[in-house]
Amino acid sequence: MPEWVPLGDRAIRFPRPAVPARALVREIRTWPGVVDVVVAHEDVAAYFAGPPHVEAAWIAKLADLHELAEAPREHTIAARYTGEDLDAVATATGLSRDDVIAIHSGATYTVETIGFAPGFAYLTGLDPRLHVPRRAPPRPRVPARSLAIAAQYTAVYPFDSPGGWHLIGCVDTEMFGIHGALLQLGDRVRFKASGP
Amino acid sequence: MSLVVVRTLGLCTVQDLGRFHHMHEGVPHGGALVPELLVRANRLAGNHDGAAAIEVLGRLVVRATTPMSIATDASRLLRVGDEVEVISEPRRVAYLAVRGGIDCPVILDGRGAFLTAGIGAPLRVNDELETAGDPEFDGEPDDLVDGPITVVPGPDADAFAPDALATLCAAPYRVDPSSNRVGTRLSGQSIARVDYRERSRPLAPGAIAVPRDGQPIVLGPDHPTTGGYPVIAVVAHADLGCFHAIRLGGTVQFSVRR
Repeated sequence: MPEWVPLGDRAIRFPRPAVPARALVREIRTWPGVVDVVVAHEDVAAYFAGPPHVEAAWIAKLADLHELAEAPREHTIAARYTGEDLDAVATATGLSRDDVIAIHSGATYTVETIGFAPGFAYLTGLDPRLHVPRRAPPRPRVPARSLAIAAQYTAVYPFDSPGGWHLIGCVDTEMFGIHGALLQLGDRVRFKASGP
Repeated sequence: MSLVVVRTLGLCTVQDLGRFHHMHEGVPHGGALVPELLVRANRLAGNHDGAAAIEVLGRLVVRATTPMSIATDASRLLRVGDEVEVISEPRRVAYLAVRGGIDCPVILDGRGAFLTAGIGAPLRVNDELETAGDPEFDGEPDDLVDGPITVVPGPDADAFAPDALATLCAAPYRVDPSSNRVGTRLSGQSIARVDYRERSRPLAPGAIAVPRDGQPIVLGPDHPTTGGYPVIAVVAHADLGCFHAIRLGGTVQFSVRR
């Protein structure tokens, strides 16, 4: 296997090293000519201002990166657990609605990757009891700020969009604004159950 | 100096050469669909290459409320009350540059509208646009060249039948009218996929993603930064503007970079 493959003639892609995402972004952006980095679940892409130049040793060295010295940011987001799929999730998992809410709001999540839509943060740390496969077929429109789960992830939809995740609630917090995404790679997130 | 929008048909937005350094938070580069044409209009207007201008996918009529210098394919002086009409045909897109550039806020290092994220908005009748900045001139514009659109193979060759790339380049594809700044849908010979585990992977402008139905989608400036459809090839950077200049309903012929 080559260390990396071309993604067109201005970017490269390689397997994601098992190190913290924000350390990856910070390091790769120091490579000459790199303007952007995308950290996905299994892959990383580096985007260059001109033809990519990368050395295998630079990629190999990424595996030694440590978490940054600055502590990750922490967010507590109020959520109303009134999603239209809450009953279906309870049925699929054999739990009560209250159990689903207690389990989901009892965990601390980490932003593993951002993609699909601006500021759409895939949060890991979902209790395995709540792992349910994506809906088939997806909904043509999921309202902005819906709180949802699918497979091992939970997320908040920043904007109206199509979506195949199970809607378990909603939040009032704006997930994306003129300063960019509220949740950044590596951030820690908790959801606090609040009234309807 | 200012302009007022008199009529719009289709989608007219303010665009520049894009925003960088935000893909890690899901924000693509965005910017002009055809940077070559934006740059040409800006240079004719006496602006720097990346000044914000109006991208017209369809038709736009504006009226000068102060005297000003503007440019599309040619430059022109407008007196108060003069109207100018910009039509994207025979291409997919045209640009109206105003000397000094369009004044709109810089958000995430760019002035362009990114409708997916609620940044900026389509121009509407009676919108007023102010000009800004100090004009400066950079040189001679690049030209768009006709001819096949070059693609770089991969990265997801393992998702396709061995002859899939040959199929992509064998005959022209039609540019579907449902295309937008997020992606250009093509119709033509179906690209055969093999068994492939779809998962969300990094994307790039010009990436040719292939859904299960085999009809390719070429990602545009406002593409999602990750997506699940495998990418058979990516349009070469130098040809991406030429590709995006092809009018809706037109055809595109791909060829593989040797």
